[in-house]
Amino acid sequence: MADRLRYATADLHVHTALSPCASAEMTPPAIVRAALARGLDMIAICDHNSARNVAAVQEAAARGAQEGHEGRLTVLAGMEISSAEEVHVLGLFPDATAAEAAGVEIRRTLPEAGDGYGAFFGEQPLMSADGRVLGAETAALALATSLELDAVVDLIKRHGGLAVAAHIDRKAFSVFSQLGFFPAEAGFDAIEVTRFTGDDSPRMAGFRALGLPITSSSDSHYLEDIGSAATGLTVAVPSFAEVALALAGLDGRAVCRA
Amino acid sequence: MKLQELVKALALTELTPVAAGEGEADVTQGYASDLLSDVLAHAPSGGVLVTLQVHLNVIAVASHAGLRAVIFSSSRTPEDDVISKAVDEGLSLYVSPADTFDIVGRLYQLGVRGRTA
Repeated sequence: MADRLRYATADLHVHTALSPCASAEMTPPAIVRAALARGLDMIAICDHNSARNVAAVQEAAARGAQEGHEGRLTVLAGMEISSAEEVHVLGLFPDATAAEAAGVEIRRTLPEAGDGYGAFFGEQPLMSADGRVLGAETAALALATSLELDAVVDLIKRHGGLAVAAHIDRKAFSVFSQLGFFPAEAGFDAIEVTRFTGDDSPRMAGFRALGLPITSSSDSHYLEDIGSAATGLTVAVPSFAEVALALAGLDGRAVCRA
Repeated sequence: MKLQELVKALALTELTPVAAGEGEADVTQGYASDLLSDVLAHAPSGGVLVTLQVHLNVIAVASHAGLRAVIFSSSRTPEDDVISKAVDEGLSLYVSPADTFDIVGRLYQLGVRGRTA
């Protein structure tokens, strides 16, 4: 019998306070509350070059559900990786363990944060599910890894993940800004377009012509931005496996830019 | 100045065989950038590009912009598939241990100019 499918709303690019450029208010419980308040079924935590706060947000969502908060939020494990070309790539992973393992490899390719780094780029707090600061990441998450784009995509795939070209309509840190053309052979599973490019804009027609599924996400660095853009998914349940099917367009699963 | 002369003066390492006639071509303009979208929009046709970007897209962008040669700075050396693509496109590739600033400075001394000079 075919699975019963439903519509789900996902914001697949949300930072926590661990990202140096994100607000300190982006704590695990605050993110979960904001996402539920915006009516999202699913978010993905994608900090810059680290997945070390992912499990805490997942735990905060699980606790919220136990305590009977309205709605149930699925939190996918992700990471926004900066390639050597300074192209930002979202990795979405099957679970926090896979994301953290990928994060360990990524960390080895980053410089250490030196004196004055925090004052310039921002703090990098590691947090608990209830929003306490447990420590600080000492790798320079704001900088680029030494991995070329192909190696980044390969690393994501080796850890069972999906690779999404982040905010490809942005003038910085996108495939187009850094590389001029979209490399068809790079192996992306999807492309992300921000809310600043409209569905009927000429650029959108160009992005559609790439033939990859298009996601829309908030790239939230502040609580108020969560859910300001979202991707509509036709899935059986909000989960990584179902998102993978939706991006591949298999078994009736589908993705549409919401 | 002829491309061949620039290569000699800067002691550049050749990554591609010099295409027929290209060594004799006069190179008067240059551009330095690592953002390929910017190269696409602003690099002068017939000129030389100095970059540390070694992605395959450099070749497509350089061809599209009508560039004659690419110099990779700071010993950044592209993969073999990038080099063979350049050969297909008739584009000459070079690498230098010098950084972008010093390469551009030398080129400028030898009379190569940017679009805004």
